[in-house]
Amino acid sequence: MAEETLASLSVFFSPICSSHFVPWKLDAPFLSLPLRTQFSASAESQKPQLKKAPEFPILEKQNWLIHLHYIRKDYEACKAVIKEQLQETQGLCEYAIYVQALIFRLEGNIQESLELFQTCAVLSPQCADNLKQVARSLFLLGKHKAAIEVYSEAAKLNQKDWEICHNLGVCYIYLKQFNKAQDQLHNALHLNRHDLTYIMLGKIHLLEGDLDKAIEIYKKAVEFSPENTELLTTLGLLYLQLGIYQKAFEHLGNALTYDPTNYKAILAAGSMMQTHGDFDVALTKYRVVACAVPESPPLWNNIGMCFFGKKKYVAAISCLKRANYLAPFDWKILYNLGLVHLTMQQYASAFHFLSAAINFQPKMGELYMLLAVALTNLEDIENAKRAYAEAVRLDKCNPLVNLNYAVLLYNQGEKRAALTQYQEMEKKVNLLKDSSSLEFDSEMVEMAQKLGAALQVGEALVWTKPVKDPKSKHRSSSGSKAASVPQPLGSNQALGQAMSSAAAYRKLPSGAGGTSQLTKPPSLPLEPEPTEEAHPTEASAQIREK
Amino acid sequence: MAAASSSDSEGDRAESSEASSKWLDAHYDPMANIHTFSACLVLADLHGDGEYKLAVGDLGPSGRQPCLKVLKGPTVLAESALPALPAAAAAFLMGQHEPRTPALALASGPCVYVYKNLRPYFKFSLPQLPPNPLEQDLWNQAKEDQIDHLTLKEMLEGIREKAEVPLSVQSLRFLQLELSEMEAFVNQHKSKPIKRQAVITTMTTLKKNMADEDAMSCLVLGTENKELLVLDPEAFTILAKMSLPGVPVFLEVSGQFDVAFRLAAACRNGNIYILRRDCKRPKYCIELSTQPVGLVLAHKVLVVGSTQDNLHGFTHKGKRLWTVHMPAAILTMNLLEQRSRGLQAVMAGLANGEVRIYHDKALLNVIRTPDAVTSLCFGRYGREDNTLIVTTRGGGLIIKILKRTAVFAEGAGEVGPPPAQAMKLNVPRKTRLYVDQTLREREAGTAMHRTFQTDLYLLRLRAARAYVRALESSLNPVSATAREPLKLHAVVQGLGPTFKLTLHLQNTSTARPILGLLVCFLYNEVLYALPRAFFKVPLLVPGLNYPLETFVESLSDKGISDIIKVLVLREGQSAPLLSAHINMPVQPAQACGK
Repeated sequence: MAEETLASLSVFFSPICSSHFVPWKLDAPFLSLPLRTQFSASAESQKPQLKKAPEFPILEKQNWLIHLHYIRKDYEACKAVIKEQLQETQGLCEYAIYVQALIFRLEGNIQESLELFQTCAVLSPQCADNLKQVARSLFLLGKHKAAIEVYSEAAKLNQKDWEICHNLGVCYIYLKQFNKAQDQLHNALHLNRHDLTYIMLGKIHLLEGDLDKAIEIYKKAVEFSPENTELLTTLGLLYLQLGIYQKAFEHLGNALTYDPTNYKAILAAGSMMQTHGDFDVALTKYRVVACAVPESPPLWNNIGMCFFGKKKYVAAISCLKRANYLAPFDWKILYNLGLVHLTMQQYASAFHFLSAAINFQPKMGELYMLLAVALTNLEDIENAKRAYAEAVRLDKCNPLVNLNYAVLLYNQGEKRAALTQYQEMEKKVNLLKDSSSLEFDSEMVEMAQKLGAALQVGEALVWTKPVKDPKSKHRSSSGSKAASVPQPLGSNQALGQAMSSAAAYRKLPSGAGGTSQLTKPPSLPLEPEPTEEAHPTEASAQIREK
Repeated sequence: MAAASSSDSEGDRAESSEASSKWLDAHYDPMANIHTFSACLVLADLHGDGEYKLAVGDLGPSGRQPCLKVLKGPTVLAESALPALPAAAAAFLMGQHEPRTPALALASGPCVYVYKNLRPYFKFSLPQLPPNPLEQDLWNQAKEDQIDHLTLKEMLEGIREKAEVPLSVQSLRFLQLELSEMEAFVNQHKSKPIKRQAVITTMTTLKKNMADEDAMSCLVLGTENKELLVLDPEAFTILAKMSLPGVPVFLEVSGQFDVAFRLAAACRNGNIYILRRDCKRPKYCIELSTQPVGLVLAHKVLVVGSTQDNLHGFTHKGKRLWTVHMPAAILTMNLLEQRSRGLQAVMAGLANGEVRIYHDKALLNVIRTPDAVTSLCFGRYGREDNTLIVTTRGGGLIIKILKRTAVFAEGAGEVGPPPAQAMKLNVPRKTRLYVDQTLREREAGTAMHRTFQTDLYLLRLRAARAYVRALESSLNPVSATAREPLKLHAVVQGLGPTFKLTLHLQNTSTARPILGLLVCFLYNEVLYALPRAFFKVPLLVPGLNYPLETFVESLSDKGISDIIKVLVLREGQSAPLLSAHINMPVQPAQACGK
């Protein structure tokens, strides 16, 4: 061993004496003054030049430095090194061009970056990475077909790259070729599992409207990466959309454990608390969001409806108006504003909010019904009737619409028409009873009974449970109606029904039925963008920059 | 944003309650002029006197004056210029001889410079890479003038398109040349052998055969041509060579070379490869899908910082264990090892000037520095066991000593409810006036509604009437007739007294050109003068915009402005097709003069 070492020493010491090593040896005295070392350094840099024809610089000499600056996001320093390196190598240093292109892309100059990546691809045509970047720039420029071509080219060079498969899938999504997109994304998952791929796959299923499949995908994703709050939140929201509240709350709660400031999870969880009447807890949670995203319309809508639930109407109006200011085209906020103003007996204002809401959402029976209630109270019977007619035409399953219409007709003395509406209501109630075991709002039941008595349709009660004796209610007596003294228009009862209908509306589309609480607000926790009602997770599943 | 604010304050808590009692501020020099990376910081007993020094491979203020600095305490002990920028520095024991003084290795360009006792001792150069044989052949032919330059160029291009082995710089440069320059270039360079030289990108040390603190270590080099080399500490021969799918940026090693070792290499393609002894190829691969900015092995957990401001923990088999989000971009990472307590933690230097210390995913401590942290190093310095060296972006140097009593308790930075939850909601207040109006609406809602509806109808009626009137008298700038669909729009430019009036006339029909139109200006002749008050319009091709310019001179100096009416007429008809009223601007000069 010792012998060997000696031998190797003799061999390996020789380079010190070679010409290459001389300059370095010059500043050997380590404690020398800086001045002297600098001198020797410059001497060293001149020396080789004097000796022979210029050597070619090593192209990759400073690649490591460029890379270090780049990953530390010190782009100015990075550009300086790149410039130097490109000058020295006369533009041959591929990596410098590559990073320059990356920086351009980060700065938003996608076209320039594309050109530079193409230069890189010319410098080393065998490198799949360059092609991938060319494709990525094309993708960012919205040229999805061209991007697919280049990615396919890159895929030929590198068969086993999940990134290529994933990005191909994303391109196909944009071209609406969902089958191909799914194939590619599954390929990507097969090669290597990434959260992003799961998110995109889930998005495809959502775009196709297949909630169950989307949930399957997200379940797998959560299994694979149980701490990803985005996945947890999305899965929670999907369960919420399907009405599986237990699981929804579980996942949203998990998301909040890992990230207690997650905006979407808080809003969704808060809305669920609101549905259960936990207004104070929900409000406490909303504080976090209000700090982080103070200009979120759904947030202020939900806060407003919390106050509404707590019967703080002025605060409710304040918050809803802020929400409306932030998102003037969101009909749900306008709907809530209309509802709160009805409660406050500000019918003229309610009329304006409701008609604005109808302009944005002309296909919802309940909106017309609320408008009709407002109009009834504004003594515009003619238009109220027309609004009811429209509401009845549009609505398919809410018995309240017919009941309110029947009350109006009865009050106007049109008994026959009132009877028709009453029967229509009974049909709907029977339908709802068959499909679900939900209880009906007691106030509504009571009203219906009174009306039934007034219309003399006998005691053909359709309600699920016997309700309290009407007379125990101090407000109105059935006698007043039976004596055909028309109930004053705009009584609080009609209003009460209007509000419970509002509570019900969130569930009605899924065919569930009326609910029992008067103060349940319609809340829209799901989507920051009002237009994405059908796909609450769309916002989250947007393609993100890598 | 949300995460940032909350974790900031969470950090506050960790700091305020404990940090003040954990660290002693030994030294702070904002003008220390040290610009470097964590990889170039080394703490070692360079003289073998038990007094640990700090060796810094310094890039220089603008990355131009690389030098090696050795610090003892707060002062620079020695400084010596380097021929090229240092990529990494390491201290290692070269042999088993006494005294056991570690040597200092600096990787720079294609070489490793080894210093012993702070004196240059040895220079190791990476071996030349084998050139492409085809390329070699071509240049040999060129040397004997058997091949003309264009053919050479074509052949070289062919090699570049397909070959596995990249071309040398010489050939690449040749391919860039114009025809006229080729001759001279070939003559100058043909006799030289073609060379391909690799560059060192990163370096670390690996114990040779014993795990002891003062055992011999091998140098492990990562190179630009995607290879890892292990060097013998005595003979500087290459003991092992491993190839990677990417260019290594950071290396982490555990184990001993002769027994068993594990090597983790973070690469430029965003992947981390894990290699073991006896395998030439990576055993496991972690795909980050972002770039790694740091790699630290602490208690067998591989901690990776990513450019998306996350710290990830992975097992040695590449399974992800946890993820922690940072409030700012991670700039550098290093290991904090408190041997007396058996603690290994990860330090992350952030762009917001924080140094965060994590044990797994638990935040142990936060240190604030005045500037963004560029490099970190923890270890024995001077005679103090636990010293933290921090350099900042402006070239500052901070030295902190961990108190001997300090214990990093887990859960120090743990979360309760986010602090924002304690803040009051900012509900907009309503005024007295609002309440009054609400009451008024309750009382007189019906009347208000009716008044509003009546006024709305009146408004609509008036608007409709005005529109009809405009249509009837052709006052509108868009002609409604089917024969001459026209659009007119006028612009006045200038400050006066001369203005330029430009009429933009457009034929909006799809196919039919319009001929025989006239333009006429009606204006107050006392106030304005126009060169032509009446002219013919050329043929209007459909779709094009015709700018018709004329000058308007203002005659009044009283600062009065008036309307100029523009009428577009059809030849032979007295009723105009279109008309526009142009409000002439007031002359500012005169207006000021008044």
